Amino acid sequence: MRKSFSAKTIETTSMVVVGIFALLCILPVLNVFATAFSKASAVESGKVGLWPVDFSVESFLLLLKGTMAVRATWNSIVITAVGTLICIVMTVLAAYPLSKSYFIGNAFFTKMIVFTMLFSGGMIPGYIVVQKLGLIDTYWALWLPAAINTYNMIVMRTFFNGIPSELEEAAIIDGCGELALLWKIYLPLSKPVMATLILFYGVSHWNTFMNALLYINDPVKQNLSVLVQQMIKSMNVMTLELNTANPQDLQAITSAGIRAAGVVVMVIPMLIIYPFLQKYFVKGIMLGAVKG
Amino acid sequence: MNRGVKRRKWKRSFPLMILFLPVIAYYVVFKFLPMFGVIMAFQDYNIRKGFLESPFVGFKYFRLIFSTPAILRVIQNTLVLGITRFLIGIPFPILLALMLNEIKRERFKKLSQTCVYLPHFLAWTIVGGMVINLFSQDTGMINGITKFFTGETYPYLYSEGSWLAIYFGSGIWKETGFSAIIYLAALTGVDTELYDAASIDGASRIRQIIHVTIPAIMPTIIINMILSVGSSVNVGFDQIYVLTNATVNNISDVISTYVYRVGLEQMQFSLTSAMGLFQSVLGMTLVLLTNHLAKRADASLW
Repeated sequence: MRKSFSAKTIETTSMVVVGIFALLCILPVLNVFATAFSKASAVESGKVGLWPVDFSVESFLLLLKGTMAVRATWNSIVITAVGTLICIVMTVLAAYPLSKSYFIGNAFFTKMIVFTMLFSGGMIPGYIVVQKLGLIDTYWALWLPAAINTYNMIVMRTFFNGIPSELEEAAIIDGCGELALLWKIYLPLSKPVMATLILFYGVSHWNTFMNALLYINDPVKQNLSVLVQQMIKSMNVMTLELNTANPQDLQAITSAGIRAAGVVVMVIPMLIIYPFLQKYFVKGIMLGAVKG
Repeated sequence: MNRGVKRRKWKRSFPLMILFLPVIAYYVVFKFLPMFGVIMAFQDYNIRKGFLESPFVGFKYFRLIFSTPAILRVIQNTLVLGITRFLIGIPFPILLALMLNEIKRERFKKLSQTCVYLPHFLAWTIVGGMVINLFSQDTGMINGITKFFTGETYPYLYSEGSWLAIYFGSGIWKETGFSAIIYLAALTGVDTELYDAASIDGASRIRQIIHVTIPAIMPTIIINMILSVGSSVNVGFDQIYVLTNATVNNISDVISTYVYRVGLEQMQFSLTSAMGLFQSVLGMTLVLLTNHLAKRADASLW
């Protein structure tokens, strides 16, 4: 009797604590949405909590009009789409040979690659390499240095290792070469791990910040995360256009509202893909965990 | 026979080698080349002369680092923030996973998992924006609440103590849920018969957690610690960069932000690569050391 009571107590306590933490995780998101969709006067007076006060989209209109938000959003989309494609291709090219025990040099390459996880040259030598290659102010500076995430590559290699070798032997007897084997047997069987890694790589390119700060100086090429960051640091990003447009607009809007609108624009795609993301990332992490 | 096997191995490896060539190029250019680039930490690097012609100066810049109080301060900040963050970051995901494991109501569990994993996917830019949105002195919700209780607002982001709390708190907020996944995975592997046996022996649920659950996930905890100890000295650039401000710079400036500011903006390439090298070596040493200790406890990584 006492036993079941204590198990029940533990479950109830757990539910309360986990519930509070779960709320804490989404409340700031709600708060930023509420701020973005509230009228400037309400934001100014600090009345906005978790729900918009005097619903209005003026912050978004000013964001569109006064900043490079549209351009930056498009840039982020380009960076993410091409970057993810490059990452996936390169990760397959690395993971497939390394998953074969007969691949000559496998042990050596694996050791070298694991070493890069332990030790890195650091920010400055990396910058010099990118600069000498002439990649500054091109998106190649964001795509190439991030082409393979070694951890993700190991996850994919582990997945390839788990594909039964009987399938492979049968295909070879049918006259299948190494490349056809990858294309016809391995890739079609790897959809779950592909989905996981596409999402992981996509998220990291969408969120990319430090590399964009380092390598992209041209404001027209800037991505959304750097733009949002600049809006947060100061409101100087607001272009002349807004200042000259209508002085009353300027009065009507608070920096807090536009800031929040920028954050919301960057969060929305993440919220849209989040259900898919959640379906796959748990699996992806467990795949990685198996390797240990 | 042996030669036949070898030839077949070569024959099958050849197409793989062609696939692998771009990968080799990638690792050589973007990982190993920068590693050789750390030579510039021992040179008076001049961007026009390059690695080959810049004069060697030995440990000049390392001596400079360790004799300049302002730089030592940055290294101290890095170690204090990184290690504190690493240590206080350990228990939260474990506790969360243990608690989620006790919840039997599936819908509640699923819904809370959806909420707690979300922050991991938000960029630090966004989280920084939210933090400022919440704590800002004139419009922030937290200051609204503070004002309601105390009658005045508080500069949370501009005083050192509360800035540290925000720094550590936002890190925990962002990563706790996601880090718990790996422990949840380990928990699904615990043999339920162990619980039944413990229960027959009269062990309460708490005792079962202490004596069955925690030992079962111990290897995962240790592996996770080894994996994250290296990055503990590698205090993330993004988080500091978005949260910092001039008032708290004295405690918030770390190696990565210093290297960015002084290295790239003031072109002090040699000095800052020396700092980067110091950080990399320290991180690697910590990983190898932890792994060595764990090996003696039978739970190493390799």
